[in-house]
Amino acid sequence: MNIEFFLELLANGALTGLMYGMVALGIVLIYKSSGVLNFSQGAMVMTAGYVTWLMTSFGLSIYAAVALGIVAMFVFGLLIERLLLRSMVGQPIIMIVMLTLGLDVFLRGLVPGILGTSPKHLDIGVGMAPLILGDVFINRVYLVGGVVALALFALAALFFRTRLGTKLRAVSDDHVSSWSVGISVEHAVAMSWGLAGVCAVGAGTIWGTVQGVEWSLTALLFPAVAVVILGGIDSILGALLGGIVVGVLGSVIPGYVDPLVGGSTRDVVTSIIILLTIMIRPYGMFGREDIERI
Amino acid sequence: MFYRLSGVHHTRYASARQLWPLPADRWQVAAVFVLAVAAPLYMSDLYLSSYMLPWLVWSTATLALTLLMGVAGQLHFGFGAVMAIGAYTSIHLTQAGVPFELALLVAGLLAALIGCLFGAAALRVKGLYLVMATLAMQFLVDWVIVNVKAISGGAVATLQAPAVEFLWIPVDTLVARYYVALLWAVIVTLLMLNIKRTSFGRALVAVRDKDFAAAVIGVNIFKYKLLAFFTSSFLGGVTGAILAFCFYRAVTPQQFSFDISIQLVAMVLVGGLGSTIGAFLGAGFVLLAPIVLLNIVAPMVEAGWLPVSASLMAHIPLMIYGAMIIGFLLFEPLGLAKIYDNARKYFLVWPFRHTQS
Amino acid sequence: MRHSIRSMVGSGLAGAAILAAGLAGGVAHAQDKAPIKAATLLDFTRVYTFLTDEYSQGQQDYIKLLNMEGGIDGHPVELIVRDQGSQPQQGIALYNQARQEGAIFFDFLSTPVANAVMPRANEDHLPMMTFAHGRADAIDGQRFPFVFPSAAIYRSQAALLLQYMDEHGGLKDKKIAFVHIDSPFGREPLALLEAMAKTKGFTLKAFPYAVPGTEQSAAWTDVRRFRPDNVIIWGAGPGQAVSIRGAISNGISPKSIYSVIWLSETDMRSFQGDAVVGVKRFTAVNTGADSAILKRISEKVIDAGKGTGDAKVVGSTYYNIGVASMAIMAQAAKQALDTQGAPLTGDKLKAGFEMIKDFDAEGLMPPLTITDKDHQGGGWGRVSEWDGDKWVPLNDWGHAYQDVVWQLVRDDAEKAAKEAKK
Repeated sequence: MNIEFFLELLANGALTGLMYGMVALGIVLIYKSSGVLNFSQGAMVMTAGYVTWLMTSFGLSIYAAVALGIVAMFVFGLLIERLLLRSMVGQPIIMIVMLTLGLDVFLRGLVPGILGTSPKHLDIGVGMAPLILGDVFINRVYLVGGVVALALFALAALFFRTRLGTKLRAVSDDHVSSWSVGISVEHAVAMSWGLAGVCAVGAGTIWGTVQGVEWSLTALLFPAVAVVILGGIDSILGALLGGIVVGVLGSVIPGYVDPLVGGSTRDVVTSIIILLTIMIRPYGMFGREDIERI
Repeated sequence: MFYRLSGVHHTRYASARQLWPLPADRWQVAAVFVLAVAAPLYMSDLYLSSYMLPWLVWSTATLALTLLMGVAGQLHFGFGAVMAIGAYTSIHLTQAGVPFELALLVAGLLAALIGCLFGAAALRVKGLYLVMATLAMQFLVDWVIVNVKAISGGAVATLQAPAVEFLWIPVDTLVARYYVALLWAVIVTLLMLNIKRTSFGRALVAVRDKDFAAAVIGVNIFKYKLLAFFTSSFLGGVTGAILAFCFYRAVTPQQFSFDISIQLVAMVLVGGLGSTIGAFLGAGFVLLAPIVLLNIVAPMVEAGWLPVSASLMAHIPLMIYGAMIIGFLLFEPLGLAKIYDNARKYFLVWPFRHTQS
Repeated sequence: MRHSIRSMVGSGLAGAAILAAGLAGGVAHAQDKAPIKAATLLDFTRVYTFLTDEYSQGQQDYIKLLNMEGGIDGHPVELIVRDQGSQPQQGIALYNQARQEGAIFFDFLSTPVANAVMPRANEDHLPMMTFAHGRADAIDGQRFPFVFPSAAIYRSQAALLLQYMDEHGGLKDKKIAFVHIDSPFGREPLALLEAMAKTKGFTLKAFPYAVPGTEQSAAWTDVRRFRPDNVIIWGAGPGQAVSIRGAISNGISPKSIYSVIWLSETDMRSFQGDAVVGVKRFTAVNTGADSAILKRISEKVIDAGKGTGDAKVVGSTYYNIGVASMAIMAQAAKQALDTQGAPLTGDKLKAGFEMIKDFDAEGLMPPLTITDKDHQGGGWGRVSEWDGDKWVPLNDWGHAYQDVVWQLVRDDAEKAAKEAKK
């Protein structure tokens, strides 16, 4: 195998990984502020994709649709936090995780049920012709996706330097101290859920363009979880770099191993990444270690 | 009044510490047992094969998982894979001519050994990370089963269960299959009822509550966590084999996917973590509630009272299932077992209002 | 915590009543002539969602037309439509329930569920249809007397595509890339393709991509380096559009892309302009609303406002496949009733299926002939090309390499017999 094949797998893999990172960013934001692992992020991505498609089906341009989608999903995130998560404060983590799983199932039934199950297509105005650098073909939609992901990560990093972002950082450190200083933890958690909804719009639109908006967008949860574990559940930088690593490994390794094995090994690679990370360094590359005290 | 509490005195430790100290409880259990054994006599074939049999087998699986999650406190989101290992092993062994009983045992042992590998992750991490590790293992096992032709049988990917005999009685009619499933359910139920009265069960509870404190008082956490995974996976593997032989009579890789693992966890949580009766109630509820509600909604839609398209109709069970999980976790986190317990305590002292417990 | 006894008894009774009502299920109809009940227990929510809505719409509209035109010899047809989520457990439970309600015909449109129910259908003597999907050896009427694929199975579809390639450019010394989803469905035609590669002298290379097929870039990168002459894509639903996009963005001309039957107008319309003109696929049933049955459906059902769903779907690929599946069932039922009389049972319906000879649903599909040995019906089909707006057939109805298909079926049967003896 020559170097161009490797470079191509590398490039497309990195871009795909950034797109997974977009989904992971939502999970990280929620975990940072409330300690809840949001298993329904995949369903939120699907819902965001459907919402954007719904806006375009009313005749709006893709940009207007995305803008409206951002507002809608922000409110959606707020509502979920207020209605469901608020009453689960203090419950064991398994209950909250199951709650998000229940929400995932519910959304998977509700949204395609109402809006229709046949795949809807979104078009962000990028053609299909690949970008050719030397002998390396780069998928244009993936390139746009990678750029959008990087933009979202940059926005997140900038956001955390603002006043509101500092409050969120305080809340993610310690709830009790934040209360004692006068920061409203409830508002901060609600805000993080809203922001996760916004990330879901980015992911939903890009992935919806790549594969069509359909319930299978919820399957993005699994690679996103791998990204989050590898990078550290509460680290944004970890989501970015972890995304790139998961994407690259998930593209390069199957590229070489699949012909030998005769089957697709991408899910296996993702599973092994999760397992190795948990066995060797459970908190991921940049995660903060959880010290349990007696 | 219903339970006839007055006059129940125990003068020996043995009788005070039995599973059901009240005679009323013992009569209830006996009645339920008789009803279960006599089911083929009064139940139609449809009810027996479509509702009772799967309910029994899934309750047993839930019991196995609640042993791990409720009693030992180890979260396991990959139990479907454990059941799959048991099912596939038993099918291959019986196709090779091994007697059914032996095949079940070996299937359980193999599932237990591989389940211990899953458990090795539990030695390293807890809580969320354990969830993730078991999830990853579920996908790995799924992939191995689908892609290793020797296991899954190639592109056709459906292995039929051969005709078997259990203790020299051929397991071919519905009634025979029902009794095999019932026997296994009774064994596992007895095990679960008594588990907390053994030192093994007490050690598991100690590990669940605070494992380093348990280590301080001399419980070997390493050994007991692995043992919990071993036992639970053994029970799960045999249950998977029973499911394959008694209900599906074939195995396909999709039967034990990630969705099934989540369904099992939902059954455990809806029923109540660690509770035996909760396992039965939870399994029944999760299995039957979507069907029941759909059967109520469907005639309404056909009669035109509710304007709902066929596609939305098909999604309603999914929505009900999700809403049910959310509802239980929000309003009754301790599950159906707690609701049953509340009702029982109410009737225990009726017509008086206050109980001692 | 004060519960009044009344409220507890009340809720207990209500709960019991609801449970009883729910478990009883079904609605009883009183008719002059006994209705014929067909159960279409499809997958509306999981894997086959991309096609089930339109397929079921076609089935329901056709049954409405049939009942309007007097049913089958006066017997109305009742369709039981439920969702099994492509889960074998759900499928088996629904099968039992429908059987209890008197259904004598089953359609699952899901390979795992169909495979799981097949042994039961054979035992219970109830015919089931696996139109253009399911396991290959089910075409053997001797081993599976009650399973009727009734249309070209996946191996026959691949064979037909190969024959078209052979007639238009030859196969010898060519390179064919087979890009497929990594599932039993995706691997179905591999045996046939490999066998043909040896006899016809072309180089075959398989490129699997992971389920659900939303991300295939690694596979297509590999395909480009293989520099194939033709590419066969074997996926379903959203994966198909991703495959085509992957192919085109890697420089493969749409004219050299051949697909399995599951490629619809919806998938193609997600591409703009002329980008995908020339993509070819296997077609088992005519598309468009021109044929006689479709015209009658448009007049009597859709225009009368009784259509089951969106009127724009009428005439699309999956809708027409649904119509065809029910038309075949109706023909089998009619022939059974004519020769053996009412009431219709599973065995009579099976005999009716095996009487079908040169049936083409008034021009909707190729002439289908089912015998007691061949439940496939001959493996007929044709190749259609996308012209930017609709699918245009390129050749006449034909069938290809059925000898190879049947040889592989016999090999499968031998292997199964050996396993059963063990």
